[in-house]
Amino acid sequence: MLADLKKLKDEALTAINAAADVLNLEELENRFLGRKSGEITNLMKGLKELAVDAKREAGAVANEVKTAVAEALATKRNELAGVSQSEALSAEKLDITQSYLPPVEQGHYHPSTLVQTDLEDLFLSMGFVVLDGPELESDYYNFTAVNVPPEHPARDMQDTFYIKNHSGWVMRTHTSPVQVRAMQKYGAPLRGIVPGKCFRNEATDARHEHTLYQLEGIVVDKNINFSHLKGVLEAMARHLYGANTQVRLRPKFYPFVEPGVNGEVTCFLCAGQGCRVCKKSGWLEILGAGMIHPNVLREGGIDPKIYSGFAFGCGLDRLTMLKYGIDEIRVLKAGDLRFVNQF
Amino acid sequence: MLISYNWLKEHCDLPAGLTPAELGDKFKLAVVEVEKIVSEGENLENIVVGKVVSAEKHPNADKLKVCKVDAGGELVQVVCGGSNVAEGMLVAFAPIGAKVRWHGEGDLVELTEATIRGEKSYGMICASTEIGLGEKFPLKDEKEILDLTFLKLKVGTHLKTALKLNDAVLEIDNKSLSHRPDLWGHLGLAREAAALFSRQLKELKLGKIKPGKSVSLSVKVEDTKLCPRYLAVALAGIKVAPSPDWLQSRLLTVGINPINNIVDITNYVMLDLGQPMHAFDASRIAVIPTKVGISVRLAKSGETIVALDKKEYKLTENDLVIATAERPIAIAGVMGALNSGVTDATETIIFESANFNPVSVRKTSTRLNLRSDSAQRFEKSLDPNLCEIALQKAVAMTLEICPGASVASKVIDEKHFSLFTGPLLMPKNIFEKKLGVVIPPKRIKEILEKLGFVVTEKKDELSVKIPTWRATKDIAIAEDIVEEVGRIYGFSNIPGTLPTFPITPASLTPVQKLQRTVKDVLVRELGYSEMYNYSFVSAEQIVRSGDNVANYLELDNPISKEKPFLRRNLLLNLMENLERNINSAEVIKLFEIGKIFQPEEAGPRADSNGDELLPRQDTWLGAVNVEKKNDTPFWEARRVAEIITRELGVTVKFVPGETLSMAPYQHPGRTAWIYAGDSLVGRVWELHPKVAANFNFPYRVGVCGFNLNILADKQREARIFKPLSLYPEVKRDVAFVVYTKIVHVEVEKALAGIDPLVKGVELFDVYTGKNLGAGKKSMAYRLTLLNSERTLESKEVDVVMDKATKMLVENFGAEMRG
Repeated sequence: MLADLKKLKDEALTAINAAADVLNLEELENRFLGRKSGEITNLMKGLKELAVDAKREAGAVANEVKTAVAEALATKRNELAGVSQSEALSAEKLDITQSYLPPVEQGHYHPSTLVQTDLEDLFLSMGFVVLDGPELESDYYNFTAVNVPPEHPARDMQDTFYIKNHSGWVMRTHTSPVQVRAMQKYGAPLRGIVPGKCFRNEATDARHEHTLYQLEGIVVDKNINFSHLKGVLEAMARHLYGANTQVRLRPKFYPFVEPGVNGEVTCFLCAGQGCRVCKKSGWLEILGAGMIHPNVLREGGIDPKIYSGFAFGCGLDRLTMLKYGIDEIRVLKAGDLRFVNQF
Repeated sequence: MLISYNWLKEHCDLPAGLTPAELGDKFKLAVVEVEKIVSEGENLENIVVGKVVSAEKHPNADKLKVCKVDAGGELVQVVCGGSNVAEGMLVAFAPIGAKVRWHGEGDLVELTEATIRGEKSYGMICASTEIGLGEKFPLKDEKEILDLTFLKLKVGTHLKTALKLNDAVLEIDNKSLSHRPDLWGHLGLAREAAALFSRQLKELKLGKIKPGKSVSLSVKVEDTKLCPRYLAVALAGIKVAPSPDWLQSRLLTVGINPINNIVDITNYVMLDLGQPMHAFDASRIAVIPTKVGISVRLAKSGETIVALDKKEYKLTENDLVIATAERPIAIAGVMGALNSGVTDATETIIFESANFNPVSVRKTSTRLNLRSDSAQRFEKSLDPNLCEIALQKAVAMTLEICPGASVASKVIDEKHFSLFTGPLLMPKNIFEKKLGVVIPPKRIKEILEKLGFVVTEKKDELSVKIPTWRATKDIAIAEDIVEEVGRIYGFSNIPGTLPTFPITPASLTPVQKLQRTVKDVLVRELGYSEMYNYSFVSAEQIVRSGDNVANYLELDNPISKEKPFLRRNLLLNLMENLERNINSAEVIKLFEIGKIFQPEEAGPRADSNGDELLPRQDTWLGAVNVEKKNDTPFWEARRVAEIITRELGVTVKFVPGETLSMAPYQHPGRTAWIYAGDSLVGRVWELHPKVAANFNFPYRVGVCGFNLNILADKQREARIFKPLSLYPEVKRDVAFVVYTKIVHVEVEKALAGIDPLVKGVELFDVYTGKNLGAGKKSMAYRLTLLNSERTLESKEVDVVMDKATKMLVENFGAEMRG
């Protein structure tokens, strides 16, 4: 009996090991462990004919054999299943280097929009409202209100577009008229920025445009001073060009500010060492600024004895060109998808 | 303007060890823009004065000469291409080993022995630009070599020594001086240096001119507003000759060619003090040279004058002239007349040192396109007191340089001006208050005094008197004084601090917020690309669009005659964008957001207190689409409108085009007006095929336009939660064929009304095709039915669907399908 069990076990394990597929394995399970006529089952049925002691001994062995065969079947079954699944998976393999098809249609922001939005968000976070004003302005708001007197050279025909049959109308040459409009509308205290389209009557070339975008900022409150102007400009410069950026202010005349300065920042490319972008100077001139002239405050209905303020302006086109390394200003308004599609 | 470092030192002892570059940096940070600084004689080590002993034609080249040059040793053969090279000429000679810049460009190159077209050449005869002297000796002709003959230099000496090149020249950007009448000469910048370095400005040591008697001189100023001051004096015994070396050299350093002693003196005074001067030849402006009468008057209309530049100018009655009884002898402040100036034969001169109205000079010089050094200065508002000093200086120099000269008349001084020189009373704390930094009071006082202000201390105030040279337009109020102190103290010494504010929330305006949403939807969701276009359009564009230029505002002075009109829609330039990009893809979708100009409607106020209004200029969205294989781009345009308004939470309805009058470029059958409530917020349309043909555009164009100013006022509708039904919804489809004239909104409305159980009606398919027959379309709707009280029975649903069918057949002539 024991010898039969041993022999059967060896036979079963060899057969299971050699099984080629799941079907084969099922046949073997039936042959050895089948409930009705499995060979091991049959042998175990013969146990009850044995004497008690022999029965106990043979019973234990028989159970061992049965367990061993069952385990071998399970192991082999897993093995076979594994093989077939991995074959199936490998048949499903994708070329993951291929992109989603059909191509996703993609739109593009104009790069100036990206730069403008970024600055709007910076100033919104500092509590500046974003203001807007007309592009076709009156002579009064564009010039007189911002302290450009009637005979000032800036009013010359070559700088300003005038409107036919409306001698008092101009295409605004800067965003500054919105300063006075905002002061008249909101009074003091006031802090805001004005992004917008401006116009200069000058011939276009790689660096000059008759249509340009500015971003102007204005703060009016009690006790606003030059140091505050510098602080805000530093915050803006560091937002644009990194925490180590320095701001340098140099005197420059603008009729609407006193003192007036132009603002330079350390070149973001060479960190002030001098390179192609900053023309070896280490500095990039990006803005004009100053303390708002008392005449402008007065024109805005604000008492310069009580309030003071500062204003600054920068060319959004220039910031856009610096940010993306664009060396030709006219491409910004050329309406060419090969340009816009890059952003 | 060129400023000589050595010249500045004559007015102010600059700190020992200061370099021109350091001075330039200080000026840049506190005074003016310094474009570059050139140290004279840089890289001139081996260049010497040479004499061209012979210059023969090159045997193998027409434009070259083979020269023998005496450079102080053996004669050297040099092949030279200079257009003006000639025997006997003194030249700048660069022997082998010297460094030059070919044609004034690129890096320095060391000269080696060369063979040029078969002839040996041992060095080079240089052009001024090739050895860094282009500023001092400007090229008149591209191929010209530097002719030094007029300087009578010793052959073989080093050029640097021979030309006394030990100066440095600061090139100042004139634009940065436009508001500073006092900085147009060396004295002004020396004064700034004195303030910056706490040095003393030297006294000018000039005095009253002792009058003479031999010439009777009279001046009549007819327009004292245009000529606030006119000084003149006659000097006799003049011998016109070349100026002394020091004077010639000084002028050459700052780029002025020496002419003769008298002209050089007037130029010197102008460059030194900033006051333009003029010298007339008495014998050329008066019949009897000892009796000279001058008037300052407005020109007569049509009067002409030939100026020193030998061109004839036609004057108007707005131009101020200096004249004798017979004719104008100068355009006041701009340029003298050719036949009144100093010549080699001149014996008696009249010096003019005057002050002219800046606006008048600017207008005349601009109109005549005559931008002289003199006009450039007068138009900045010069100090009328400067004329007097300048005349004293010119007379003193003349007496010194021309030994036989003497003052021959009394000094005429016609003056009619007043200047506001304060004093301004300034609270002592104003500097800290305005600048945000504490500057020691002593330094404040020193800065102002060095700049010429007279400062008197009172209890809590400073009384500050403005020097006349700053009083013409530059300085008038306390803030101006603060600027002076701030810039000289150094803006870089003022630390940046952030102001503190209440935490009032800040936001975009509704239109700006809307712009952002619209851009995001178009770019991220709908695949549109953003255009930035000019605000101007051409007559051709307008006519092509079927519109009339009379509807457009026009620029008075357009930069290009091509596009003088202000756009009143975004379409015209978007059409240009489409044309430009048409070959780039099968599907092109572009948009622009910008203001348009509608002259017939009123817009923002033009004045703070008048009634005048500017034209309306709302911000619009224009989105165009072209799909080459699709001849109904209307639907894409409508999709844009639907998605934008859905994103905004604004319910809109689309109303057929014929209900309003349409622009000529709109397709009459493919236009929808978009209403939010009662207000028209936009339109969806296709380009009129005729207009497309006008543009030679071969595809159909779909357009979606919104007036963002109007749309921004529409509030997002409130969303109110509806409890979820306990019972299931039933969905049923109904499809049918109707005539194409049947419109969806009416079908939808009718279906929604057939039974209270109908909770939703959705159109999900429309189809036209040959199999349906001409003029017919198939429509398919999905109805949602729900009873909120209990589960619907299929019988109930059937009843509703039967009602629907009946209604469709009866009301719309539908043939039911499936």
